[in-house]
Amino acid sequence: MGSLFLPGDSWLHRLPGGLKLGLLAMLGGALMWVHDWRLLMLALAVVSTLLWQTGLSVAMLWSRVRGLFWLLLALMLYTLVVQSAEHAIALGLRVTTLLLAALVVSVSTSISQLMTVVLWLLQPLERLGWVDTQRVALAFGLTLRLIPELSLQWHDIREAQAARGLSANPLTMAVPMLLRTIRRAQEIAEAIDARG
Amino acid sequence: MSVKTKDIALVALFTAMVVVLGLIPPMPVPWVPVPITLQTFGVMLAGLILGPYRAGLVVALYVLIALVGLPVLPGGRAGLAVLAGPTGGFLLGMIPGAIVVGLAAGASTLRCLVAALLGGVAVVYALGIPWLMVVTGMTFSKAALAVVVFLPGDTIKAVIASIVAQRIRRLNLV
Repeated sequence: MGSLFLPGDSWLHRLPGGLKLGLLAMLGGALMWVHDWRLLMLALAVVSTLLWQTGLSVAMLWSRVRGLFWLLLALMLYTLVVQSAEHAIALGLRVTTLLLAALVVSVSTSISQLMTVVLWLLQPLERLGWVDTQRVALAFGLTLRLIPELSLQWHDIREAQAARGLSANPLTMAVPMLLRTIRRAQEIAEAIDARG
Repeated sequence: MSVKTKDIALVALFTAMVVVLGLIPPMPVPWVPVPITLQTFGVMLAGLILGPYRAGLVVALYVLIALVGLPVLPGGRAGLAVLAGPTGGFLLGMIPGAIVVGLAAGASTLRCLVAALLGGVAVVYALGIPWLMVVTGMTFSKAALAVVVFLPGDTIKAVIASIVAQRIRRLNLV
């Protein structure tokens, strides 16, 4: 499974992950209060420059924002119809700026770096005894390994039911899916315990 | 076998299942205005079957995996951009949503349906709509109008999830 991260060594890549996340959160909070389109244009220009600095090409950018782009377009159209063109433009500028700023962080920070920040943020909870960061890391890794397996399992069930002339139906597919998933969880738990 | 290891395995498996369900292409349903994805269906199932604590962990892990940049959300979306976007509240709202589903679930199918609607729909929308308003600058009525098309699909998912969960719960597996 491909992630948003783009390996590289730009100055943005070298910046600590926690700092980037902190700055992104601050930008997100600040932008909510900006309604002047000229300020928003300025913010968008700055963020676009940063994104360009990460070394992302236009094609790679498009593959990363495609899903969100259509959603944004639909929202702008909706705003245009129910409110006004000015609102639609301000909305488009603000959301695009935020999306690209978030992308700057995602593109320049590897998953392991982000996980390090997450586990660091969880440390206060760990001291309280609410969270065990080792278990979080284990569940995280386990889930990534299991996504392809469960995806295959879903298709198996689909094919088995199609072979019996059943159409795709979440009701009849969910029960075998859940039963197999729960059984697999038991197997994995036994395997983990056996290894200690 | 220690209970805790089994819980971790169940949380990981259910998280993977929510990912798989969410990645199935949106399907058109008769009488429903927009195609539906099975993402919240998975969240409801987790709440009904695993209970509040483990279901909350499932969705928190799901959100975490999406935010660190793996394309696990419907349409292959991922990354912090989703949180910064207009629908970020719906994603985050699924965490308390799953917990509420687990808390409200009961012995009867009807009780499970109420739980799925309360946590999987009401709580999710209660975070999603204000978030949409803040990001887009829409008024409440306009933001609510924008999401009302998803209500019929969500209701159908809650009905199916409660029936399915009831069948699984009777087996006392988890």
